[in-house]
Amino acid sequence: MKKDCIAMLLAGGQGSRLYVLTENMAKPAVPFGGKFRIIDFPLSNCTNAGIDTVGVLTQYRPLELNSYIGSGQPWDLDRDDGGVHILPPYQSATGASWYKGTANAIYQNIGFVDMYDPEYVVVLSGDHIYKMDYADMVAAHKKAGAACTIAVMEVPWSEASRFGIMSVDGEDNITEFAEKPKEPKSNLASMGIYVFTWSKMRECLIRDENDPNSENDFGKNIIPMMLNAGEKMIAYRFAGYWKDVGTLDSLWDANMDMLATGSGLDLFERSWPIYGRSTSAPPAMLGKNSSVEHSVVTRGCVVDGKAENSVLSENSAIEDGATVEYSILMPGAVVKKGATVSYAIIGEDTVIGENAVIGCRPDGSEGWGVTVVGPETDVPGDYKLAANHMLNKNLKEVAR
Amino acid sequence: MNGLHGIIFSYEKEPGLRELVEHRMPASIPFGGRYRVIDFMLSNMQNAGITDVGVVLHGNYQSLLDHVGNGKTWDMSRKYGGLRMLPPFADNRKYRSGEEFEGKMQALAGVRSYLQQIRQDYVVLADSDLIINIDLADVFAAHLQSKADITCVCTPNYRQTENATFFQLGEDNKVVKTLCGPKKPEGYHCLEIYILSKDLLLRLVDQCEAEEKISFRSDVLNGMGDQFDIRGYVFNGLAAQIRTVKEYYDRSMDMLDPRVYRELSTAAHPIRAKEDDETPTYIAPESSCTNTLVADGCIIEGTVENSVIFPGVKVAKGAVVRNSILFKNASVEENAEVSYVIADKNVQIRRGSHLNGHENYPMAISKNSVI
Repeated sequence: MKKDCIAMLLAGGQGSRLYVLTENMAKPAVPFGGKFRIIDFPLSNCTNAGIDTVGVLTQYRPLELNSYIGSGQPWDLDRDDGGVHILPPYQSATGASWYKGTANAIYQNIGFVDMYDPEYVVVLSGDHIYKMDYADMVAAHKKAGAACTIAVMEVPWSEASRFGIMSVDGEDNITEFAEKPKEPKSNLASMGIYVFTWSKMRECLIRDENDPNSENDFGKNIIPMMLNAGEKMIAYRFAGYWKDVGTLDSLWDANMDMLATGSGLDLFERSWPIYGRSTSAPPAMLGKNSSVEHSVVTRGCVVDGKAENSVLSENSAIEDGATVEYSILMPGAVVKKGATVSYAIIGEDTVIGENAVIGCRPDGSEGWGVTVVGPETDVPGDYKLAANHMLNKNLKEVAR
Repeated sequence: MNGLHGIIFSYEKEPGLRELVEHRMPASIPFGGRYRVIDFMLSNMQNAGITDVGVVLHGNYQSLLDHVGNGKTWDMSRKYGGLRMLPPFADNRKYRSGEEFEGKMQALAGVRSYLQQIRQDYVVLADSDLIINIDLADVFAAHLQSKADITCVCTPNYRQTENATFFQLGEDNKVVKTLCGPKKPEGYHCLEIYILSKDLLLRLVDQCEAEEKISFRSDVLNGMGDQFDIRGYVFNGLAAQIRTVKEYYDRSMDMLDPRVYRELSTAAHPIRAKEDDETPTYIAPESSCTNTLVADGCIIEGTVENSVIFPGVKVAKGAVVRNSILFKNASVEENAEVSYVIADKNVQIRRGSHLNGHENYPMAISKNSVI
């Protein structure tokens, strides 16, 4: 039963900045890139890195996520010894409480981690798109003899104040941590990916829980606490593609990055596959009069109209005379005859009625932005949804 | 519990399939951009609620074992029941005619101990090389209602098939005449899906073995037809047996017909295939891909028309693919052109090559060839 290293995946967040897309599901369950969901990335990274035990901490609207993960078989995580475990908040003899923060979520599951008695625990987020070898990061952690290793990447100095910023010495020992600093002293941003030596982490979680003023958050509380205690903490530099898809704009961007060869997001590279749960749809059918350019299509897509610079997910359809450009059709979305979808995200199983116009190209105006239609929305024919607007399934336009 | 048990027969060689069966059995030929032929019958059985299926193996069955695995794809990886692969000589004896069985009854005699242990009262026998999306639960209901001894699925829509069986149906769809491999087809084309009770099946297996009879259709349906109440179940949908390269090509092209595509991929009765774990397909700017079925993991930069494209295929800039079928990981390099070609797995059509088959004689290119 003893494991060298296990992973704890924080998947309980609501993802409120994805608005209508997460009204009914947790952020990690949001579809990405045609046939994946966001959580496929950390789960596939785990299995590719040889981490065979993963605790998934769920809280907000877990149904979709739980049924998607199931036994863990698509990621080869259906194991008798280890495997994927869904860990929701629970009631104990002394009462019940929701996960108060990221650190509290793991605190409440100390019993789960102890069951595997690991030397190291990798803490991951369920809202990042990236391919990363956690084994290499754990090796760096071991080599340095660190209590905590934090994955960082260089960001442009102009954007540094949006991130948690690490200052390091010449050997990448972390000397200072500042959450969204106004005047950043470094441009190394935390990616929210941590490796802890479990014995140290366990102590810190208990100490943090006993502090009534703590928000029980890794970034805000645990990391500063360990720094102040003089623990050895190192930065692990990562240079590949990484994107936090916690906002509508970043979700749209990351999908578009799949199409851009220079973006660094290469899902065709086969040495580090991303796995997802399979559906039984047939291959994509591109009709006689269809026109598809610079786009991705996947099983179950039926295209009779036009698609350009777009991501068409499983079982999505574009009918005759309809046009989709610079947009994401999530699984099962249908664009009816003559409709136009431009710079938009169309939610799962949503139908865009005939001749409707959703979003528009960037027109230089200040209020322009990506247009979003929530899942399971039946948009009537001839409906016009302006740029930067959102529509939910009750056909209510909501402000972003 | 569902009272129906599935038995699927696989055959080693169909000489008419030429290059397509050099490295595999007919049951594991790729079809329709994503499937193997046997996926259809396994899915039909799964969709009818059948939980226990035996696949009678024949000859060199490694490729079939690799594909079917433990049956997980069809939810048949079960602790109790589920999918069982039945190699020849399961009963540890030789077939009278030599190394391998030559007919269904002989094959069944070879797995008699398995048949004995079937826990359902009825058995459906089917071939592994039939492309069909049929509601077997409805066939079973019709069988029970008619109180027939044997129900045979047949179709009025005749398609060219080598060595086919035909029925003439009388009142209440009773089979009044069976013709095996007639020169001129007439009546209903038998799709070689049969439902009968386990008891009758065992009796027939024993009787045929004692009388050295080997074939279900000629020795049972034809030879003992007058002893039993044999009924036809008329199926009007798409059904295709694949026994020659030409049949394979034509049925593959039929998949481009939106009506056929919808029938085979209806959400109510999905056909399930082993997960390919490929990323979505990328279609580049200034390329064209029309009237084509395209699987995941492909990169299309050239022109593709009227074709069926399997996972991981690459069509480079300036390349033209028309009326062709490209199997997994095939590649057509820059400025190469192919038409009426079936390129097997990993085939590379090098830069600038031109390959043309003919509508009546599609060119099949063996696995791993470099041209």
